[in-house]
Amino acid sequence: MAKPRKSRGESLLLRYLVLGGWALVCLLPILWFLSIGFRPRTEVITPHPIYWPTFSLDAWHLLMSDWPIALYLRNSVIAVAGSVVIDLLLAIPAAYALARYEFKGREDIGFYILSTRMMAPAIVAVPIFFLFKTLGLLDSVWALMLIYAAINLSLVTWIIRSYMLDIPKELEDAARTDGAGDLTILREIIVPACLPGIITAAVIAAIFAINEFLFTLLIASTSNAYTMSVALANFTGGSDGIIYNAIALVSFIAFVPILILVILIQKHLSRGLTMGAVKG
Amino acid sequence: MASIHLQNIEKRYGGFVGVQNMSLEIADEEFLVLLGPSGCGKTTTMRMIAGLELPTDGKIVIGGEEMTEIDARDRDVAMVFQGYALYPNMSIYENIRFPLRMRGIPASEHDARIRQAADMVELGGFLDRKPGALSGGQRQRAALARAVVRQPQVFLMDEPLSNLDAKLRQSMRVQIKHMQRQLKVTTVYVTHDQIEAMTLADRIVIMNKGAIQQVGTPDQIYSDPANTFVAGFIGSPPMNLIEGTAQNGRFVAPGVSAPCPDYVRGKVTLGVRPEDCHVGGDDLQGMVYGVEPTGDTTYLTVLAGTKKIEVKAAREYRSDIDVPVGITFDPAHLYFFGEDGQRIRGTA
Repeated sequence: MAKPRKSRGESLLLRYLVLGGWALVCLLPILWFLSIGFRPRTEVITPHPIYWPTFSLDAWHLLMSDWPIALYLRNSVIAVAGSVVIDLLLAIPAAYALARYEFKGREDIGFYILSTRMMAPAIVAVPIFFLFKTLGLLDSVWALMLIYAAINLSLVTWIIRSYMLDIPKELEDAARTDGAGDLTILREIIVPACLPGIITAAVIAAIFAINEFLFTLLIASTSNAYTMSVALANFTGGSDGIIYNAIALVSFIAFVPILILVILIQKHLSRGLTMGAVKG
Repeated sequence: MASIHLQNIEKRYGGFVGVQNMSLEIADEEFLVLLGPSGCGKTTTMRMIAGLELPTDGKIVIGGEEMTEIDARDRDVAMVFQGYALYPNMSIYENIRFPLRMRGIPASEHDARIRQAADMVELGGFLDRKPGALSGGQRQRAALARAVVRQPQVFLMDEPLSNLDAKLRQSMRVQIKHMQRQLKVTTVYVTHDQIEAMTLADRIVIMNKGAIQQVGTPDQIYSDPANTFVAGFIGSPPMNLIEGTAQNGRFVAPGVSAPCPDYVRGKVTLGVRPEDCHVGGDDLQGMVYGVEPTGDTTYLTVLAGTKKIEVKAAREYRSDIDVPVGITFDPAHLYFFGEDGQRIRGTA
């Protein structure tokens, strides 16, 4: 039995309605944050919900005058970006070796690298604290950079390795007979061919680093090294009690970079770059 | 330009023998085809010549210099791969240029050489495209241009046409042969397609299970097969191989009784090509199993006992199935093979 078919326009409209509704559900918490962040303090805590609050920049002004947000953002950016650069510099050659070179214990080393990720971070918290104390790196952005890099290195290596495994070996054979050495092959053939994987790994590492809390709290004791994640946790709005609208706004600001990264990663998740290299 | 000598090369992977004790002389400017079923060791042999794999034993000499342990990038050898292996992030122009850059050829020469190579494979208009934007045939031509551009001593081609459709394959085949004659570069070509081997080769090397079965010109391989493997591998349809017994100058098998030389005795295999079988007579008697007109000829399949025999019949030959039919073999073109599969030749 053939079902009566809806016209194309109708089914398209229905699809948009369903998807639009779902998008709204997903966006609701974010919209709610914004709505709290941009209302006056008097409308934040009320017995009855206020759906259409008065627009107010009170929280914004409070943040700008009372809180070194630029410093925290700067700390975050230096520590996170630096850690990602360190990760890529170490992980790309390591991933290539793990993906391509035949050597004894290759699989074991690969698994060992990944297993560092399985450990509960609290186990190493105390040793790491004393290590950095001895190095004189407590309360320093550079220490955070090293810690973030160490935390994410295994993951970055594994993601990049999996992309490298997908690159046809013929490409390397071709480059070798064309006269290229190992480093040239890595630089000119492998890295460009797995660029989507490298970007994906970098973005994932950046997101993890931005959200890192435990070690940052341990190492950073003053504004010198506070990143957004720890500063946010310490933030209560000042001496006048807990100021929820300011907290909402700070949370939103901390969330924006991650949102941007996720949008980036979405674009690069497709592995389109290797298309056409081999067969069709 | 260079000759290639393989001296007793062997490749073992643990207990598995990929190529066993293989010796081969490839002359300067020769077009040599390595032919065999998949897993016969032909690609491994080629990869050892390229330097992408090291032989477990033996010696490889290219252009008079021992190359056995030399890295692939230091051998003046260009290779074309089955999957084209174009660098996906580079334009066709940069792809063709890559070997020139790697070999330290002065940048001032690059452009002219790239354009010359691209023109040779009729790809001049596509230089700024990425490989992903080309069709299969164009990609294969780009891969050829990349091999040609640096004028290597040796071309190695690993099933370069197997990803193309039949029509394109034929035209690329002619193009490759023309190019090889024009450039006079020693070429080793690997394929499992006997038509490619027959049409391209100066000499064919037939391999099976890691060992050479026969080396010869296409004519020699076709008309003088050394064993049942070669006989059954070459020709389309391939040679009929009928197992039976021979004594007192007659070969006998179910449905078959044909004259044979006196020196053929005992359990033997008779080989006869479809075009050396003729409808009529009584060397073989069986039933018509099927008739396949192809336009310029008609193939007849005859069931004799449980064995199906291919016959190349006259163009207008037609028959119903299950009709008795007699076949004569051309006595000048019968081949006999012993129980070991090797050809039985007259002592005279």
